[in-house]
Amino acid sequence: MGRNELLAQLHEAAASPKRQLERYLAEGRKAVAVAPAYTPQEIVHSMGLVPMGVWGADMEISEAKKYYPAFICSIMQTILELGIRGEYKGVSAIIIPSLCDSLKTLGQNWKYAVKDIPFIPMTYPQNRKPDYGVKFTMAGYERVIRDLEAATGARFSKAALKESNRIYNEHNAVMRAFAEIAAEADITAAQRSDVFKSAWFMLPEEHTAVVRELNEELKRGPRAKGDRKVLVTGILADSPNLLRAFDENGIRIAADDVAHESRQYRTDVPNLDDPLEALARKFSAMDNCSLLYDRDKKRIDYIVEQARQHGAKGVIVLMTKFCDPEEFDYVPIKRACDAAGLISLNVEVDRQMVNYEQANTMLQALKEML
Amino acid sequence: MGEEGKKSRPAPDPNSAKFKLGRIAAKAYTDAAEAKARGEMVGWCASNFPVEIPETLGLYVCYPENQAAGIAARGGGERMCSISEGEGYSNDICAYARISLAYMKAKEAPEQDMPLPDFVLCCNNICNCMIKWYENIAKELDIPMILIDIPFNPDYEVSDAQVEYIKAQFWDAIHQLEDYTGKKWSEERFREVMETSGRSSRAWIDATSQAKHIPSPFNGFDLLNHMAVMVTARGKEEAAEAMETLLKEYRENHEKGISTFRAEEKYRIMFEGIACWPWLRVTSQGLKSRGINMVTTIYADAFGYIYEDFDGMCRAYADVPNAMNLEHARDKRIRLCRDNHVEGILVHTNRSCKLWSGFMPEMSRQIGEACGIPVASFDGDQADPRNFSEAQYDTRVQGLMEIMEGNKGGAE
Ligand code: SF4
Ligand code: SF4
Repeated sequence: MGRNELLAQLHEAAASPKRQLERYLAEGRKAVAVAPAYTPQEIVHSMGLVPMGVWGADMEISEAKKYYPAFICSIMQTILELGIRGEYKGVSAIIIPSLCDSLKTLGQNWKYAVKDIPFIPMTYPQNRKPDYGVKFTMAGYERVIRDLEAATGARFSKAALKESNRIYNEHNAVMRAFAEIAAEADITAAQRSDVFKSAWFMLPEEHTAVVRELNEELKRGPRAKGDRKVLVTGILADSPNLLRAFDENGIRIAADDVAHESRQYRTDVPNLDDPLEALARKFSAMDNCSLLYDRDKKRIDYIVEQARQHGAKGVIVLMTKFCDPEEFDYVPIKRACDAAGLISLNVEVDRQMVNYEQANTMLQALKEML
Repeated sequence: MGEEGKKSRPAPDPNSAKFKLGRIAAKAYTDAAEAKARGEMVGWCASNFPVEIPETLGLYVCYPENQAAGIAARGGGERMCSISEGEGYSNDICAYARISLAYMKAKEAPEQDMPLPDFVLCCNNICNCMIKWYENIAKELDIPMILIDIPFNPDYEVSDAQVEYIKAQFWDAIHQLEDYTGKKWSEERFREVMETSGRSSRAWIDATSQAKHIPSPFNGFDLLNHMAVMVTARGKEEAAEAMETLLKEYRENHEKGISTFRAEEKYRIMFEGIACWPWLRVTSQGLKSRGINMVTTIYADAFGYIYEDFDGMCRAYADVPNAMNLEHARDKRIRLCRDNHVEGILVHTNRSCKLWSGFMPEMSRQIGEACGIPVASFDGDQADPRNFSEAQYDTRVQGLMEIMEGNKGGAE
């Protein structure tokens, strides 16, 4: 397949998760919804189930208002809204971690708002590095396994997990390679986003195959024009209007630190005898994320360093409205950018905000500065 | 913590619980300031961090949430919030955190000063916002941060895996603090602290349960003030003693048929959420003028740190209100409503607190249904005065009162 066909295929998956779900269900598979930001997808996959990412949608909120006050982020609000409206019908369960305060409340509301889809909690430790933290992560995984078995009838085996760990590592490598290739290739911000977004609605082995081919095509294809390069950071960067503003202003995403995108693929499962422990050690090795305890604020240095490495002259913080973990990190990010001579921009994003006039104006101004 | 108004009243009786409790709260600040002046290390400590640890080690700590509440109650909330907003912190962030981050920069606040920290003790059993807030302090001041991570428990009971994880962190925290401060952990001292904390907790629970009497021997707004001592000093002898005095006074009030609720008690409600410190007088007055006594709050149950040993302590810290699932949190409140003959619930939808407010609509619905009582809510904020409307509060309280009134009629 050529570059455009591959991109079209990924665009289709990214744009129609429901069709993807129906396709997998029609194949006789069972699917499990996985909420932001991290869940043990390897486990879901190893049990023969299809993990389907749920990150909400750009839509108005009505039903969820019965559960959530207005000051909870729109990702949580719209996941609940979609659940109540029956948009996730067909999935056998939803796994929700409790990595931020709003996520903690999603699971509690879910039990009453969406009674037909069982809630499976995943409790991660914040002190994830010491052995006792790894052990606690494993206890969390074991609980997820038990709940998945009960919800789907599927069985867990360590041998299968070992294979799934390998498949996910392979996907990680392909996605990391894509991010690097995309930094130099002639690809729009919207296309780049499709590649990341589609990963949430496709089996990793299928996604790996398509992206691997795409990577080869992009390497062979034309280089990107212009040098208005930025690093994008935040939770989510998939709004079509926002991405259009990037493309229209000729601002290229040279690297991202987006939870929905590259943060997912940085860390591999190490190769250990016990695949469950290996998976727990993956979590303990994860860093550079607003949701993971970071006394040294290494994430801030990481952003600056990544921006430098990729020749980005600016850092665009896409601030999901009401996302307090990111709001706390913004101040040190801004200061670090100032100190490093990087332009930084704080663009508020919200799933209800269809009008990106403001973002567009800001990007226009940035364009002049770059 | 906040004081309800500053009317000129006769000098308080130094043997009264109110006086003793007020002195303990104030002394925590002066002790820390003196320690700092002597060159000792001083920490900032999250409200639900196991106080047993600094207390046993003999470390001086201050409580930023307590300070923020005090600053807000004395009118400094907006000024301090604006300072951190000027630094780039969003006004969506918890106002306690905004005030505290502002204090780190300003280093002074006429409403309530406190020495800057040499280390921070963080525990997220009330919220994860705490982690981010303390990370920023630790990084900016370049001081150690000790985090005891007590994850939100999705299950009704605390699991053994959770206790084990918490226990390992307790020891890790103790050893890190020993290394950093040179203080030593003593089993004997721990046992004393545990006993004192148990004494304070028992007296507190007993005192707050005196609201079972009709009329209640106290105004529930008292609890919002007194709980500061439970938060910060429950492991101290003076605290246990003051709580026992409080219990004694409430019992005596009941016997004499008097109350610190200085109006006729026509209705009894549970107040849900943190107090609106900047609007304490208004919120209290809005109830009192209608004869509504707030007889209970989850705080009445929240400080039940009664346990037998180290493992029990780990379990107790995992079983606090903001760390427990909806069903467990709901059942505790249902029990409080039933035990204290509550006729309605007033929910503070607190703009600052995502965790507390994030499943409150569903939970309060369930409590209301289980107890057959009305629920009303109002928008507010525990420390940022800008997020509260007096008119809305008044309308909601009035509405609640009318339903309670109607219910009384129906029962006749
Ligand atoms: S991390 Fe931010 S965007 Fe994600 S659920 Fe929590 S508050 Fe919402
Ligand atoms: S008010 Fe809520 S968010 Fe703020 S510190 Fe307290 S528990 Fe955390």
